[in-house]
Amino acid sequence: MRPGGRSARIQVLVAEQAARRGGRAGVLDVCTAAVAALPVGGAGLSAMSRTAASHPLCSTDDISEQLEELQLTLGEGPCVDAFLDGSAVLTPDLLTGRLQDRWAVFADAALEAGARAVFALPLQVGAISPGVLDLYAEVPTVLDPEQLADALAFADLATLLLLDARIDGTGGPAPADRGFEDLDGHRAEIDQATGILTVQLGIGIDEAFVRLRAHAYMRGRRLADVAADVVAHRLRFSPHAEPDRAGDDT
Amino acid sequence: MNQQLLAKTFVELADNLVADFDLIDFLRLLTDRCVGVLGADAAGVLLADRDGELRVMAASDEQVRLLELFQLQNDEGPCLECFRSGSPVIVPDLSREAERWPRFVTTAHRSGFTAVQALPMRLRDEVVGALNLFRAAPGPFDPAGTLVAQALADVATISLLQQRSSHRSTILNEQLQTALNSRVLIEQVKGKLAERLGIDMERAFTTLRGYARAHNRRLSDVARAFVDGSEPLPGLGS
Repeated sequence: MRPGGRSARIQVLVAEQAARRGGRAGVLDVCTAAVAALPVGGAGLSAMSRTAASHPLCSTDDISEQLEELQLTLGEGPCVDAFLDGSAVLTPDLLTGRLQDRWAVFADAALEAGARAVFALPLQVGAISPGVLDLYAEVPTVLDPEQLADALAFADLATLLLLDARIDGTGGPAPADRGFEDLDGHRAEIDQATGILTVQLGIGIDEAFVRLRAHAYMRGRRLADVAADVVAHRLRFSPHAEPDRAGDDT
Repeated sequence: MNQQLLAKTFVELADNLVADFDLIDFLRLLTDRCVGVLGADAAGVLLADRDGELRVMAASDEQVRLLELFQLQNDEGPCLECFRSGSPVIVPDLSREAERWPRFVTTAHRSGFTAVQALPMRLRDEVVGALNLFRAAPGPFDPAGTLVAQALADVATISLLQQRSSHRSTILNEQLQTALNSRVLIEQVKGKLAERLGIDMERAFTTLRGYARAHNRRLSDVARAFVDGSEPLPGLGS
């Protein structure tokens, strides 16, 4: 990660929220940090899936909670569109006629709940899209380019925290102890290695992403180095040998 | 430079900017034409993410070594200088620049490149990325060729905007984010396809593109279906 870069700054904000709460950094800390940093009243996050049921994961306040539940119950709204389109859906004012047409039920219900502007940011790494981060404001609100870039960075961090939470229980070091050194540089090899692991382990892309990162954490290696080994065929995962390897040097 | 080929290329690129075009597919075509028209030996389109890091969106060859050469320029090299200054950087003989960019020059040399050109991708008052051209033989670049290269860099920028015009967001940050994510998807698919069929990364890419073309579908739609395993794609081993 670039020292002084946006991602580094956002990560510090989230770590501060976690420290204040007295826990390990999680998606709730991303929500509270986003609310503190951006001109929004609340934030919520839902786990989304094309094949399984979607469900709300956390929210900073009642209105956010209602917004998450509304969208998942109704099956419409910015969060649903952001997930399906794979791009941010920015709604500065729900009171415009066009939006009320698009989300006939949600728009009214959201206004009723007390939201006026809603911003839905998909959590995604290529084909991996485990959820959506929703922000709302009680007054019409436009995010300027800087604020939007921050919001996107919050969503990226939420993606990693959400997926890394699945590593817990496998005996690896706690996320808080690991830092985020692997955020540095988006190496193409990391994405390629993730794809390679889906075949070697016969698993889905989300799971492959988690397994690659778990492997790096447990061996204290840089993610980019592990990925480069996978791409160069120096390292091979196998569905049977992996648990043994995971246990022998941690 | 062959004028007829040049005219044909710009017509071809314009023809490909249709309503539902695929950005990665288009940019790959553009880098291929850079090689064909400008006599470059390799070309790549790099976009800056919101941390200011340059990331490869397309390359005339998907091999790991070439992608590395592009990525390396986040630390040093003509592409980074071009991106920071917003001006073209033209280096006819890399061997004279070993002190300026020690790592880049070494790596470029190992990959067989001795001359390089980087052209800025400008959008209004912002530089969003750069077009990078490599040549095996040292020697001055034809000034007319540089003008054409800049025009191709501009077309690449236009395609970024065009890509999103059918969607909701018109905000640059978000457009770039979506574009970069579509590239991540392609890398994941290259990995999966290369492993499944026992082929290299370049062949994985061209196999995927060949499938998309043969079935008249967008590259990223096929990529998504392949990685999700959501439909049978005969010929891709699924």
